[in-house]
Amino acid sequence: MERRSFLAALGPLALAKDTGDLPHYRVVTQHKPAAQPGMPGAYPGRVIAVHSERSIEAGTNKVDVAVVREMMASGMRELTGDKDSRDSWARFFTPSDVVGIKLNCSGAPNIRSSPEIVAEIVRNLMALGIKPPQIWLYERFPDQVESVHYERYVPAGVHIEAIEKDRRSIAGYDPRTYVEVDFFGEDDTRSNMIRLVTERFTKIVNVPNMKDHGAAGVTGCLKNIAYGNFSNVARSHAGAKTNTLSFIGTLAMVEPLRSKTVLQIMDGLKGVWQGGPFLRDKRYQFYPKQMMFGTDPVAIDRQLLPVIEAERKRQGAISVWERTTDKRKFGSGQYIREPGHIEFAAKLGLGVYDADKIVRKDIKL
Amino acid sequence: MPALLLLAILPGLYWDAGPHTAGTLKQAGIDRVYVPQSQKDAWTAQGVDALAIDVAQLTKLGKPGVQYRMNQASATAVPWIDANGWQMDRDPKRTYYYDVPAAAVPIAMAEAYSRNARAVIHTDPPSFGRMLMFLKGIDQPALPAQANIGVIDDGSEIAAEAMNLLARRNLLFRVLKAPDPKLDLNLQPTAKNASDPFAYAQDVRQKLGDDKRLVRLYGSDVVLANLTGNGAQARLFLINYSNRKVTGLRVRLRAPYPKATLHVFGIENATPADYLTEAGATELTIPEMNAFAVIDLSR
Repeated sequence: MERRSFLAALGPLALAKDTGDLPHYRVVTQHKPAAQPGMPGAYPGRVIAVHSERSIEAGTNKVDVAVVREMMASGMRELTGDKDSRDSWARFFTPSDVVGIKLNCSGAPNIRSSPEIVAEIVRNLMALGIKPPQIWLYERFPDQVESVHYERYVPAGVHIEAIEKDRRSIAGYDPRTYVEVDFFGEDDTRSNMIRLVTERFTKIVNVPNMKDHGAAGVTGCLKNIAYGNFSNVARSHAGAKTNTLSFIGTLAMVEPLRSKTVLQIMDGLKGVWQGGPFLRDKRYQFYPKQMMFGTDPVAIDRQLLPVIEAERKRQGAISVWERTTDKRKFGSGQYIREPGHIEFAAKLGLGVYDADKIVRKDIKL
Repeated sequence: MPALLLLAILPGLYWDAGPHTAGTLKQAGIDRVYVPQSQKDAWTAQGVDALAIDVAQLTKLGKPGVQYRMNQASATAVPWIDANGWQMDRDPKRTYYYDVPAAAVPIAMAEAYSRNARAVIHTDPPSFGRMLMFLKGIDQPALPAQANIGVIDDGSEIAAEAMNLLARRNLLFRVLKAPDPKLDLNLQPTAKNASDPFAYAQDVRQKLGDDKRLVRLYGSDVVLANLTGNGAQARLFLINYSNRKVTGLRVRLRAPYPKATLHVFGIENATPADYLTEAGATELTIPEMNAFAVIDLSR
């Protein structure tokens, strides 16, 4: 087993100088990075945003499947430069791949990876010759996944898997692949990677939502791929303090997760501008009516920030950057938000944060 | 060394329902019972191995189990474990008494058995009988308790609570009258340094360092460990206080043991998974456990 002190390996970045005292992370993995890790992948700094007013009906939340199909095809074509979207998908997947589709169901059933989008991803994978049993929709908690009923949208044989069948159980996680860190004196200091990721999947598609997040500031690609693939992560918050700043990027960097996550498809048909990652009060939902495509989770999340900020401003909520828990300020919460986790992840090598270096292409349908 | 040949002490059932219930005991597989003095002769006349005991003379213990509370140190609900093993460590010469419902019987019996402590339990015979059968099946001579922390006990409530909290964090300690330089850490809890036992236990953990902990558990907040051993072999006792099964519990021991046998109450032929020995440590996973698991390890 390879053991290494993660921050020691990062040495030259001197991250602590920029961000205050950081927890000491120890990453344990046997897996080596791919020649070109999936994150930031083949298209670093490239983001395709596809918008369609017809994609979802505000209020009823009815999704137009045909429009979603068109959005996905055009987004993928634009990302890769291919004329046929099938060729675009073929750049990432082969018929022998076992593909995990990382859902986001933490706010289910009211906000989740839209089953219509997930179904369209499955359809595109199957068009490449990938059989239903080679496709896994997965998330950590069964109650959340079951509330969505993905089985009504995807062909029989596609796996729909919730990892943590008993809360706190690490039976579905890999005991040899983990990040060890002591945040607040908690006794269980390990966060283990989902075993399907280390042992079964050859590729992963990440399907986050567009959401405010009470701890991370926003939750997009990085948060979904990081906290959504490891056990025992809620321990990173206590009192007003959250360690999402450094923990998100640290988790996302762990192999083989980093190498296998080859495609990011952000579901922004509906979003959450306050109270995220949940949607307990529907006043906090809004309709960006868009999807983003790319391989670079940092660049996409960098685009997510202004989407959430703009809606919060429109609604009179404080900025996600305001470091407060003052309840008198509308939009504050239990934790001081850490939207800086996106830039932090960029410094780790997960993608491009500098707005001047991000190439964004907008498509309106 | 004749003492080493003795098997560990098995908990006994305290039964005051009268000799007419002998069939209930027989059905539960219980062939020895503790009874009130006034009933002893009648039980003996029934052919039952009955020992008279005065429960008023025994040290009463609370019902072991878990309460879920919010704790300031974590955003998630952390369990509060009501455990008694530390009291047996503190005073191993006493005989302890539990009056517990059936659901708590395996935990109570596991506490006593893992400490090799004398205990009688007033409860439901079938539950007692099932656990007794399990314990008889794994019984072997008790090994010395393993610990690398010494607690100098002045008999105070402060010391008691410090021991309780150390045990709850799986910080294995030995009760001492004076410091033992062979241990990694010697403690003397006082009103001054341990007025907040929770913080005290956390401080002890920091001082010891996680790398020096003899046992680490991952994947559960409701399992407590007790380790015995003699260098060549070890026996690790794990008690799940939650009354719900724990799956995928990862165990780390600070010693390399290439061989291990797993015994889990209520589960036949349990086998450790993802076994690993490296860097002077052993790691393995218990796929599933109910109230009690025992791992026999050897070099």
